[in-house]
Amino acid sequence: MRKYFQIFKISFEEEFAYRLNFILWRFRNVLQILLTYFLWSTVYANPATQAFGYDRTKILTYVFGVMIVRAIVLSARAMDVGNDVATGDLSNYLIKPINYFKYWFTRDIASKILNLSFAVFEFTLLFFILRPPFYFQTNITVFLAFLLCIILAVLLYFLILFLLSSVPFWAPELGWGSHFLVSVVIVESLSGALFPINILPRIFQSIILATPFPYLIYFPIQVYLGNVSGWALLGVILVAVSWVVVLWMVLNIVWQKGLKVYQAFGR
Amino acid sequence: MDRAIIVDGLVKNFEVVQKEPGLAGAFKSLISPKKKTVHALKRISFAIQPGELVGFIGPNGAGKTTTLKTLSGLLYPTEGFVEVLEFDPWARNPEFLKQISLVMGQKNQLWWDLPAIETFELNRAIYDIPTRVYTENLKELTDLLEIGKLMNTPVRKLSLGQRMRMELAAALLHKPKVLFLDEPTIGLDIIAQQKIRDFIYDYNIKYGATILLTSHNMDDLINLARRVIIINDGDILYDGAFEELISKYAKEKIIKARLSDENNISELEKIGTIKKLAFPEVVIAVPRAAAAVAASELLQNFPVDDLTIEEIPIEEVIRKAFRGEQKR
Repeated sequence: MRKYFQIFKISFEEEFAYRLNFILWRFRNVLQILLTYFLWSTVYANPATQAFGYDRTKILTYVFGVMIVRAIVLSARAMDVGNDVATGDLSNYLIKPINYFKYWFTRDIASKILNLSFAVFEFTLLFFILRPPFYFQTNITVFLAFLLCIILAVLLYFLILFLLSSVPFWAPELGWGSHFLVSVVIVESLSGALFPINILPRIFQSIILATPFPYLIYFPIQVYLGNVSGWALLGVILVAVSWVVVLWMVLNIVWQKGLKVYQAFGR
Repeated sequence: MDRAIIVDGLVKNFEVVQKEPGLAGAFKSLISPKKKTVHALKRISFAIQPGELVGFIGPNGAGKTTTLKTLSGLLYPTEGFVEVLEFDPWARNPEFLKQISLVMGQKNQLWWDLPAIETFELNRAIYDIPTRVYTENLKELTDLLEIGKLMNTPVRKLSLGQRMRMELAAALLHKPKVLFLDEPTIGLDIIAQQKIRDFIYDYNIKYGATILLTSHNMDDLINLARRVIIINDGDILYDGAFEELISKYAKEKIIKARLSDENNISELEKIGTIKKLAFPEVVIAVPRAAAAVAASELLQNFPVDDLTIEEIPIEEVIRKAFRGEQKR
């Protein structure tokens, strides 16, 4: 256990070594929140507006909720794994008595804690500047269900990133391109980070809901808002758990096969 | 355990996608990729005893690094038997990993933006090194490698030679019984090379560690390895004592001199075989034992500006060994 604590510590220190980088990344996040905030607050300018099944309070809570959930779920260092595989830096870990998955999960947690503390600060700041109507969930059961969804989302995102990072085992040149596609295009739009998925036409909704992506942002926030409850809530949790189990099994198979073709590039 | 490393009939093939030049070629390989099998190792066998220091030499792409990577469990052997410290490297058993180390001259494990001491601390945790042992080892390594003062400097600010020594320290904190060194002196200046070599030599003697080192720098081997394995194109050409190799294939040394004028240039033949004469440069091959005498003769009787005595390039030794192999 101590080794993973040490990894946690050094990851934290490294994040601070890239201070400017980190600040710019947080700045980007704030900007993104402001953009979506103003967009939706214009759409729902009239407090009586009801559109897509949302009113002003709920949509703005959604936007602010994204800010926190994003920081927990989508901030992950496992992005770098694909690069490790492509350049052969993976070798450095393979020759050491550590578990590579646990190594990156530990680094992810370090990154999440750092990002979350900044997000909470930004949240508070923006909250007092913009004074949006915000829906505070007071039902403790719902809140616990929300936390469970967050944990599942963290695991899911970790697995998705790792699966994606296995592509360079077979196509080393694809490292960055596939990440861009998935992390920027797919994750941003399909996870619900930009807009709630249930504002889309039915057909698109059904397609997106059949993928694991909405379980990253969309469902946790829906659960927080109390829009999913009872059997539907149980269903959401069960599907998320199944996704985690399935992706975990797939990842193990893929990784086993990947290591066999791994060429430990770079001399 | 009478063998630290056993390799028997090891074959390693790589599948490589061939790409034709240009955009059209890139497109073509996207639709129907042409695969080619590269035979990196063609059924090689050797065994190494505990405490041996063995040099692996051969030109680029000969299969040296592939062998080291297979022995440390990074590559999956296509065929054949590999055993290191009675473990199958591919199984990556933590007990096995705790006893080995691989240092690659062109890959670093140090955290680039943090001081090296952070990586050391991390390795202490990863390898479960008790605090007392860690403190001792660290002290010893930093003294031997003369890096005590640099440990708190961010790695990116270190010179290549300093970084290489840090890499060695990081790789040796857990006192591995088997050490794989891949081109440990590449890119270093002569003084730095010497420091690394002295250290490897001492480490081998002091801890009885088994060391396998690849290099295409002949000096590394002259000063270190008592046994060499020459590998070329995936085959072992020679496996035996280094002295024997030298007396068999590198009977001569090379004297390179720069002359200040062309007087009695024809007399040069008395010194040794002239390999190249393009005034002011002259390259002469002389018998190994007579190299020093020949050099002083040259200095006394000719207007020499500059003079160096060098080993025959490793490629030439290998070529000779290769030719010898074919005759048999």
